[in-house]
Amino acid sequence: MRDRFALFALAGLALMVAAPFLLQAVLPANQAQFWTANVLGRAVVFGIIAMSLTFLATYGGFISLAQMMIAGVAGYTVAVFVEGAVPRIVGGLGYGLAIPLGVLAATVMGLVVGAISVRTRDIYLLMITLALSMGVFRFVETNIAWFNGYEGIRNVVGPELFGLGFRDPWLFYYVALGTAALLLAGVLYLVRSPFGLVLQGIRDNPRRVAALGYDVALHRIAAFGVAGFIAGCGGVLATIYNIGISPGSIGLGATVNVLIMSVIGGLGHPVGAFLGSLIFTVFDTFAANLYDRDRFNTLIGAVFLIIVLVSPDGVIGIGARLRRLLGGSKP
Amino acid sequence: MVPAIRLTGVSRRFGALQAVRDVSFDVQPGERRAVLGPNGAGKTTLFNTICGDFPPTAGTIQLFGADITYLKPHQRTRLGIGRTYQTSLLFNGLTVLDNLFVAVRGLRCNRFSFLRPSRGDDGAAKARELADRMRLSHLLDAEVVNLSHGQRRQLEVGMAMAGDPRVLMLDEPAAGLSPGDRPELLKLLRELPRTLTLILIEHDMDIALPAADIVTVMKDGEVVVEAAPDRIEDDPVVQAIYLGAPGEGIH
Repeated sequence: MRDRFALFALAGLALMVAAPFLLQAVLPANQAQFWTANVLGRAVVFGIIAMSLTFLATYGGFISLAQMMIAGVAGYTVAVFVEGAVPRIVGGLGYGLAIPLGVLAATVMGLVVGAISVRTRDIYLLMITLALSMGVFRFVETNIAWFNGYEGIRNVVGPELFGLGFRDPWLFYYVALGTAALLLAGVLYLVRSPFGLVLQGIRDNPRRVAALGYDVALHRIAAFGVAGFIAGCGGVLATIYNIGISPGSIGLGATVNVLIMSVIGGLGHPVGAFLGSLIFTVFDTFAANLYDRDRFNTLIGAVFLIIVLVSPDGVIGIGARLRRLLGGSKP
Repeated sequence: MVPAIRLTGVSRRFGALQAVRDVSFDVQPGERRAVLGPNGAGKTTLFNTICGDFPPTAGTIQLFGADITYLKPHQRTRLGIGRTYQTSLLFNGLTVLDNLFVAVRGLRCNRFSFLRPSRGDDGAAKARELADRMRLSHLLDAEVVNLSHGQRRQLEVGMAMAGDPRVLMLDEPAAGLSPGDRPELLKLLRELPRTLTLILIEHDMDIALPAADIVTVMKDGEVVVEAAPDRIEDDPVVQAIYLGAPGEGIH
């Protein structure tokens, strides 16, 4: 079963690697470029942020609404410290330093969120992480001196690599895809490590985990730290994708979008985050052509409802369901 | 000799309910102690205060002479207490092997690790050995959610044993077992090494009496009888509790 999954995962990765070439073969050049950067690239970036949520939910049983805010902490850290951002808040750092600093800040924020929420579960955990998100959002929105308030910070263009600007659609896409693949592989490695197994133990039975001699709080906080690291990587990429960051990108709407992506994809496996974010992004991008730009929320809401009704474990649950329906092997 | 467990005046109150009242007894190292009593006698509450789920409201608990009254559960486990639960508390989403593997590593100094164990690590080997002892070796890769009730009870004991505890506390290990599974469990209990101190809560006298050296009978939060197993069945107080003095249920 695990071997078959690895095969699927590799096939999926190969497809994603080949996608820009395939798109170029079937679409006019400007459309292929648009699909590569603005649909697939964006889906991968937000998939990373959604995966930080599904990692916590799938293996720890924690639904955190703080992940978009944590991604924003990484984005804002880069924007505040990097040279060339407008307006200049601190500046002076190159991307080689600003990006690791951003990811580090997100990891620390993840640890802080984990420590604050360490005693809560279920709906209370949801509420406390939402409250932290909204607190940071309001703080950033009203603070001019550090975060330029409502307008945010612009011109975060990303580093130059191989003589190409980071905004080059192909370069951006492959960097995002490589980051996502590494993070996904890291998550899959981690969940079979002692830490990952204990985390799943906490999901199933925290009392027993403590009775076996483990410090439940320590493992919980560390899990939020790992999720913060993942969200931070996504946050840096999202900030460069948007050439800047403003409070809107960590507001309630963005927070809920990440949750919707995760649930559409399914919480059974971390790869679901990417499927969910791809579906979300396609609808987000083409809602205007399909229906009406202003009705995007109705549309995505309907898609959300249909998927959740047909398959409560999201898109990744549909495959298993089909196999069962067709009388195939047991799940 | 320093007792393995020494309870001195242990009481636990939940609001107006006095669940455990002034319980004092010693359990010597290597002793098998059974705690009997009707439902609501305070047996599990006493267990939970010894294991640290909550502290007693009065009194002290010593483990091999060290005061553990206010330690957290994981700290007590590290000092040598292993326990099972009345209703199995297992990791349903993991396999039998992973359950035991997590249990085995709980007391190691590298228990917090992001790295998968190297080939030389004996954690998995020890987990297999435990599965063998608990007669679960044919189910290593089965997810725990699919196990039968009897198998879950066996795994429950195996996980409590994994850390090589000095004191093993079993909370109704026979609860819900079919009559056919009971002799198997008794055999398993009698195979436990004599160096281990065993404290056992049990309703079923057929399990408790053959497994125990000394029996403590509780009622309404208090210890009412403490005696050798062969004297328990004839004890008038125990008969009154178990065999239907007016107003008492039969257990």
